[in-house]
Amino acid sequence: MRSIPVRRNTLVLSATLLILAIFAWAGWANWEYRRQQAERLLANAGQGELVPAPDAGSAQYVSPLNGKPAPAFALEDLNGKKVSLADYKGKAVMLNFWATWCGPCRIETPWIVELRQKYAAQGFEVLGIDTEGDDLKKDDKAGWAKAAAAANKFATEEKIPYPVLLDGDSISRDYGGLDDLPTSFFVDRKGVVVAAQVGLTSEQEIESKIQKALNQ
Amino acid sequence: MHVLKGPFISTIAALAVGAMVAHGQGFSSSAAQKRPLVKTDAVTYLFPEQVNVPANKPSQIALHFRIAPGLHINSHTPTDEFLVPTTFSIPDGSDVRLESATYPAGTVMALPIDPTTKLSVYTGEFIIQTRIVATAGNHLVEAKLRYQACDNNQCLPPKTITVAIDVISK
Repeated sequence: MRSIPVRRNTLVLSATLLILAIFAWAGWANWEYRRQQAERLLANAGQGELVPAPDAGSAQYVSPLNGKPAPAFALEDLNGKKVSLADYKGKAVMLNFWATWCGPCRIETPWIVELRQKYAAQGFEVLGIDTEGDDLKKDDKAGWAKAAAAANKFATEEKIPYPVLLDGDSISRDYGGLDDLPTSFFVDRKGVVVAAQVGLTSEQEIESKIQKALNQ
Repeated sequence: MHVLKGPFISTIAALAVGAMVAHGQGFSSSAAQKRPLVKTDAVTYLFPEQVNVPANKPSQIALHFRIAPGLHINSHTPTDEFLVPTTFSIPDGSDVRLESATYPAGTVMALPIDPTTKLSVYTGEFIIQTRIVATAGNHLVEAKLRYQACDNNQCLPPKTITVAIDVISK
């Protein structure tokens, strides 16, 4: 049997190990890339899910805040007065995040005004939270003043009887990111989120969630 | 060398399987991680990425954009003062000046739930005709497009995207 030169053997073995190492790295890199993509998507998702409604057959939004205490906040209203969620402990509250540039928000506002009037005596209140300035820089005073003026004008035109709070963007992270408007959370008398909705639904659907918050 | 053949082939096979498994896992449970309703890349700039223009003379450049399916953005002249118009701009101080921007006419539409309120919007692909003046040289312009997108039931916040164009001016 012819003896195999040691030098050639070493070369072949080294090349083989190098190729194997490249394979292993490629596999790991692919997995790591996909893992990071998944994390990025999950972070951007607002962590909500659409799930089929048990009866209606249409998808309903299920917020990760469902069943949890509504995150505390304190925001200024249109008169500069500080309003906090804690002020409404003992009442059922609808936190309605909207913006003046949001057409669907404007469509649902009259429904919300009507329902607020209907259920106010039972201990229900709405906090309209203007989430106007996603691309406004913090030091853009003129921009923020313009946003506040727009919110004020909108509230006047729509005859909104409930508190309208400004700078909803400052609490958007606590409420799941608020990438889509309108977004509303329904909080019961104990301060627990019992329902949420993203996008335009219907007056009936909003009413059913108000009743849930009132525990009816 | 033949004594290494068996282990060599086995190792290659094992790593190939490992690579396939790594390829398959990592983002498999897409149902649980589905992104509901959020569409962050509503508008994409298509082309041109590079233009050649005469120095210090106005040049017409057509900028092509695409809006994600199912979404619309307000036209440059929306029907309500509260709505955010689509606007193209070039930052001040650039060696490329925007002399004018001509926007397409919007399509009139109404949301199904509110047929009485008319909107002026862009959908699909649209073109903004611009006239620019550039000093001599090679300039990477980071122009801006500001827009605000909605579908029939909800809206995304106003967004400004960068429109990067390489302007070569001689």
